[in-house]
Amino acid sequence: MDGLDLLKKDWDKESSKKKLSVKDIYPMLHKKSSSIVKILFYISLAELVFWILVNSLPYFTSDSYNERLDLVFQNDYILTGLTITSYAIILLFVYLLYKSYKSISITDSAKNLMESILKTRKIIKYYVLYNLIAAGLSLIIGFYYALHNTPNTAIDFSNISDKKMALIIFVITLITAIFVLVIWLFYKLIYGLLLKRLNRNYNELKKLEVD
Amino acid sequence: MTKELEHSFVELLEKHQNIVHKVCRLYTNNYDAHNDLFQEITIQLWKAYPKFRGDAKFSTWMYRVGLNTAITLYRKSKRSIKTQDFQGVEFKIKAEYYDDTEEEQLKVLYKAVHQLNDIEKALVFLYLEDKDYREISETLGITQVNARVKMNRIKTKLRTILNP
Repeated sequence: MDGLDLLKKDWDKESSKKKLSVKDIYPMLHKKSSSIVKILFYISLAELVFWILVNSLPYFTSDSYNERLDLVFQNDYILTGLTITSYAIILLFVYLLYKSYKSISITDSAKNLMESILKTRKIIKYYVLYNLIAAGLSLIIGFYYALHNTPNTAIDFSNISDKKMALIIFVITLITAIFVLVIWLFYKLIYGLLLKRLNRNYNELKKLEVD
Repeated sequence: MTKELEHSFVELLEKHQNIVHKVCRLYTNNYDAHNDLFQEITIQLWKAYPKFRGDAKFSTWMYRVGLNTAITLYRKSKRSIKTQDFQGVEFKIKAEYYDDTEEEQLKVLYKAVHQLNDIEKALVFLYLEDKDYREISETLGITQVNARVKMNRIKTKLRTILNP
């Protein structure tokens, strides 16, 4: 007898047994899900809030920061423009994430379901990437302005030798690199653990198409 | 309204619960993990139920939600076994357990099926449930040809285990 035929015979026998009553099932409806989509949703929410806070906190807490900003960007239009742009980008990401979550449907085919989850994860990735790049750019621009536009620091830096200057730039680059690496590892770990199985199964389905 | 919806859902699930139990049986290997997965599939079914339209059969709809939860959404608890590559295990099983009686053969078969990867299990599950290749391919999102080819490979493997 074919292996699967034998299995099927036994399998059908199992079909007639019932294990749970209506009473057993009711409480299950109100238990909390631990699905990866739900976890992904909480992570993306946390990311949004975290980066919005990082962007906004200095505006609210530090007067001196605002003063310095005013000094650096003497032209107010630039600052307003940048602020509006950054919030517009955040709104765009919120919209994209919302749309992407809406498109995740458990009644889709397995492959489509996996693809929509991976797409959502990608949007979160781009959001984080955008924030890291924005943070990096503002650091560089800030440093540049500090060197050239602020009278005090301009004098300070003029006394530093080229060798020391190279060292300062090296240290700043190194700190930035370590910072980015730590964040990158953190994300690899979170998403790696969360999506390990999904990725494996998705690749398996993809492999079937290639074979 | 919610109470009515809840009532009709629970009745339907109670009637068709075996589908979910069978998914759990393939994807878990002990009592606690079985219940854990059953619970998660029930939640997913309940969440999707308001969108369920009567034009599809409730059982067909359950296959999709059940398998999708098992393959994609469910985070395996530590209690369940890790899936291994099929080829590697084959010989070990043969040497340890091979016997001529049907019961022993079933044991070997179940053990072998448990070692398949998640996608292979889904194929076996739908096959055992008498689903045709059209439905199998639609549920998994692969072509019918690929579903057939993969299924034949799995069958051959299971056959060689029983008749070495």
